[in-house]
Amino acid sequence: MKTVTKYPWERINPWLVEIPASAREDMLVPARIYVDDVLWERAIGDRTLEQLVNVATMPGITGFAYAMPDAHEGYGFPVGGVAAFRAEDGVISPGGVGYDINCGVRLLASDINFGEVRHRLEPLMTDLARAVPSGAGKGGRLRFGGEDMNRVLADGCRYLAEIGMATPEDLERTEAEGSFRRADPGKVSDKARDRGRGQLGTIGSGNHFLEIQRVERVFDPAAAEALGLYKGQIVILIHTGSRGLGHQVCTDYVRAMDEVMARHGIKLPDRELACAPFQSKEGQAYFGAMCAAANFAFANRQAITHATREVFKETFGDEGGLRLVYDVAHNMAKLEDHSDGGTDGGQIVVHRKGATRAFGPTNPETPEAYRDFGQPVLIPGSMGTASYVLVGTDDALQRSFGSTCHGAGRAMSRTAAKKVKHGSEVRKELEKQGIVVRCAGLGELAEEAPHAYKDVDRVVDVVHNAGLARKVARLVPLGVIKG
Amino acid sequence: MAEPSHRFVDHTSEIGLQVQAASFGELLAEAARGLARLMLREAPAAAEGETRDFEVSAHDRESLLVDWLNEILFVAETGLWIPLEIEVLEASDTRIRARARGVTVELSPSMVKAATFHGLEVVETADGLSAEVILDV
Repeated sequence: MKTVTKYPWERINPWLVEIPASAREDMLVPARIYVDDVLWERAIGDRTLEQLVNVATMPGITGFAYAMPDAHEGYGFPVGGVAAFRAEDGVISPGGVGYDINCGVRLLASDINFGEVRHRLEPLMTDLARAVPSGAGKGGRLRFGGEDMNRVLADGCRYLAEIGMATPEDLERTEAEGSFRRADPGKVSDKARDRGRGQLGTIGSGNHFLEIQRVERVFDPAAAEALGLYKGQIVILIHTGSRGLGHQVCTDYVRAMDEVMARHGIKLPDRELACAPFQSKEGQAYFGAMCAAANFAFANRQAITHATREVFKETFGDEGGLRLVYDVAHNMAKLEDHSDGGTDGGQIVVHRKGATRAFGPTNPETPEAYRDFGQPVLIPGSMGTASYVLVGTDDALQRSFGSTCHGAGRAMSRTAAKKVKHGSEVRKELEKQGIVVRCAGLGELAEEAPHAYKDVDRVVDVVHNAGLARKVARLVPLGVIKG
Repeated sequence: MAEPSHRFVDHTSEIGLQVQAASFGELLAEAARGLARLMLREAPAAAEGETRDFEVSAHDRESLLVDWLNEILFVAETGLWIPLEIEVLEASDTRIRARARGVTVELSPSMVKAATFHGLEVVETADGLSAEVILDV
């Protein structure tokens, strides 16, 4: 039986469905959803498709409006959405990036095996939880204000390298070297700075976490070797973003654009899609502020790395070194040159909201060390389930503007998740699997429980089979610190 | 006239806050009470201490509702204080002045990132007004 949605659709291949541009009269381009049959059923279960179709109406959109296999309804754009707008005459939209600007993931690799950690996990997690504050609004040890804050916003990880909290190798292995040059701290409001004060080096709440994991399986030994990964190895995955500072930057600019859209002659089906021409004063102001917030997020993950390294050194001595494998954003808008990528524009503003950049081996933005394999792509699973390391492909440039999924993707509301299982039950189940959990509250545990999410193995199989990224390794959690 | 009320509506990843009230001023106050409940994660709390005054202006009802909630989020996150008893001193479609008593919290309650415009419309009902705000959490 053909699945019923309000839009006509066609399956292009086992991993891809298309909604034609004729499906609604205001669409400018078709919409494409990377899903197998099971995930397609999920996608039509909420407002994901309607939101994607809304995105396809935005001025200057080029190619397709994409949804990744982990997509679910958001506000304005779907989460797991990718849209590119021509830099010349298209728009930039704060809602297309989201409130958590440069939410992203970074992976640290140790030289320690599972056996060496197994019996020290409890005290190690306690020390880590102390060094890396988590939970809503919990303040960190670093107090950046005034000029320090300006430097973080302007230079991100480059500033942290200056003050001894990042190595040159860390910078090489961070997207954009952890420092967007287009950042304009002057466009970040005092309110945003107030919300960000004291939050550098903290994880925050929601689905953000720091996990100690074990490399459980290697799919591609050559790529794994290049990334410095091997079976049984202890690694650390950090998932967080720009905290209150980014939230306020988005809030400020959604409002600013809401007021000027009419003047720019833009009319959209949802006010949260608020946008302005990229070349306009408002568009450029947001771009500068967003890049600054993104630098704050890179610096945040770097500060957490610094604290984690100190704990590992105290616990394991000289054996406790941690190498940065990669750090990549999944909530960003970037000015990219895709002239070789089959789009009609060349210079485009790619919005990835809950989607990870996945550049292939030949892309100049892929770090030197990974040029034989592609840019590492880090996909965190939900709490207590597997995470994945993949590498980007050159084909992804034509297929999804060089983008792939960003996680398992929620399948159930927070309320529904809490009805299925109480937090104490979730904690017990995780502990039964040998996972040590450090979490502020039981409510948060229930809301983020594995059953509230889609199956990450299935999601990753779709992007692998669709050629958006290639599987390198599967990681399983040993210890979780959650907000 | 019906008493103002609010309830939380399911959303896959966020939280919908559905509010109704007899007047727009009361709708704003009730939305703030709903937001406060979320920020406190339903923990019981009683207003104490001195009052704080709020004044927010915007260009229409929807943007005022969004700005008002985002102002409360900002004060809560940076001032570690959540308003509970809200008295509307003056309200129009584009401006609210309010006085609130609230509770001081130990940790900054940043679980809610922002109030959004998604699908937002303040609609007239038989009993007054209603609106549903999607909160990014």
